[in-house]
Amino acid sequence: MNKQLRMNKGPVIIILQFIVLLFLQLLLFNNIQFSGFINPYVYVLFFLLLPFTFSRALLLFLGLAGGLVMDLFMGTPGVHAAATVLVAYIRPAVLELIAPHDGYEANTLPRISYMGLEWFIKYTVIIVFAHHLTLFYLEVFSFSHFFHTLLKVILSSVFSIAFIILSQFLVFRK
Amino acid sequence: MRNLLQFILKYHVLILFILFEIFSITLLVTTGSYHEAKFYQAGQRISNSFSYKLENIRDYLSLYKENKRLAAENNRLYNLLKSSYKIAYVDSAFRGDTISSRYYKYISARVLNNSVNRKFNYITLDKGRNHGIEPEMGIICDEGIVGMVKSVSDNFCVALSLLNPKFGVSAKIGSSGFYGPLSWKETSTDKALLEDIPQHVSIIIGDTILTSGFGSIFPEDCIIGVISDYKLKGGNYYEITVKLSTEFQRLNHVQVIKNEFRQEIITLEQTAEDE
Repeated sequence: MNKQLRMNKGPVIIILQFIVLLFLQLLLFNNIQFSGFINPYVYVLFFLLLPFTFSRALLLFLGLAGGLVMDLFMGTPGVHAAATVLVAYIRPAVLELIAPHDGYEANTLPRISYMGLEWFIKYTVIIVFAHHLTLFYLEVFSFSHFFHTLLKVILSSVFSIAFIILSQFLVFRK
Repeated sequence: MRNLLQFILKYHVLILFILFEIFSITLLVTTGSYHEAKFYQAGQRISNSFSYKLENIRDYLSLYKENKRLAAENNRLYNLLKSSYKIAYVDSAFRGDTISSRYYKYISARVLNNSVNRKFNYITLDKGRNHGIEPEMGIICDEGIVGMVKSVSDNFCVALSLLNPKFGVSAKIGSSGFYGPLSWKETSTDKALLEDIPQHVSIIIGDTILTSGFGSIFPEDCIIGVISDYKLKGGNYYEITVKLSTEFQRLNHVQVIKNEFRQEIITLEQTAEDE
């Protein structure tokens, strides 16, 4: 695929990715209700896959829109939106934190094939954990079952991270 | 003014972030239960057609289990038939009009959507106003009680699951008949708490917990679960942990209960209070 094509198709691909992840989340991952502790929210992958050079403001708008759509489907007004806006806000900082020595090369994307497995795991772990932490505590909206919620956050994060990394090998293999 | 503009330009990302977070959290805090149910329905309407297809597949896959359950249910119902009993006193009072003596009516429904892992769990059913469903009807399945209808559209309804802090039911202990309010124990997907049972009542682990029939939502003596644990709370009352008999994770077919006299009872109770 040449560069010109990718530039033009960019928005379409991003929207398609969102729709695919939305359906996967609703039809597959929302049905994993193992003892109530493991609820992976794999749709965060959408925010992980966005290109490096994405305006921070636009990222925030996408975060709000994406979160609200999720909320609409899951019937949780504001919970997912708050978590995805946070993810959109911290993503540039996280990228800076784990950047390679000579920065990110032009025309690369945040994928295992470009950045290596170790980098991608670091990136996924930070973003997914931040997302799940916000999400689960906002959902409960109190600290009354603090450790119960924390266990939920950790177990669900582990599963989400595993699914996300696995999906990278399945979809974006060379 | 220029300074302000410069400030906004410089920090526009942070400002947007804060605005968006305030918006989301306001949405979360201000959405009352009514709107929440409406909001849920809006999303549900879009995904319902999908759920239908998915549910069909799931139905098919669980046919074996479902058959066994139906056989057990049939067996139980056969045992309840009049012909299974020997009537000893034929000269006792008999009311010929069966319509007027019918108290509860059951409407069978299928579960389209169900969650167990949220703080507020809801269940979507494939029956609505057109089938005679109204808000505040109780829902049971053959294993035990399930929840209560919350809001209704023409063809669907959304119900509060028992696994929802907004749901409460009056329950009693099977052996002694003492009753108290029962609500979900939020840290577990299969436990509920029964409160306000006085200290002098003897409690046995494994005893059944049944509905008391108060509130005219559920008939009396529907099974809720069994006692799994108890402790004294505040010195005078027991807080009893109940292991729910309904398996919410694989809920499929349920019965919605219509109380034919509910309106009459409520009106009467209100007049009594007003007088």
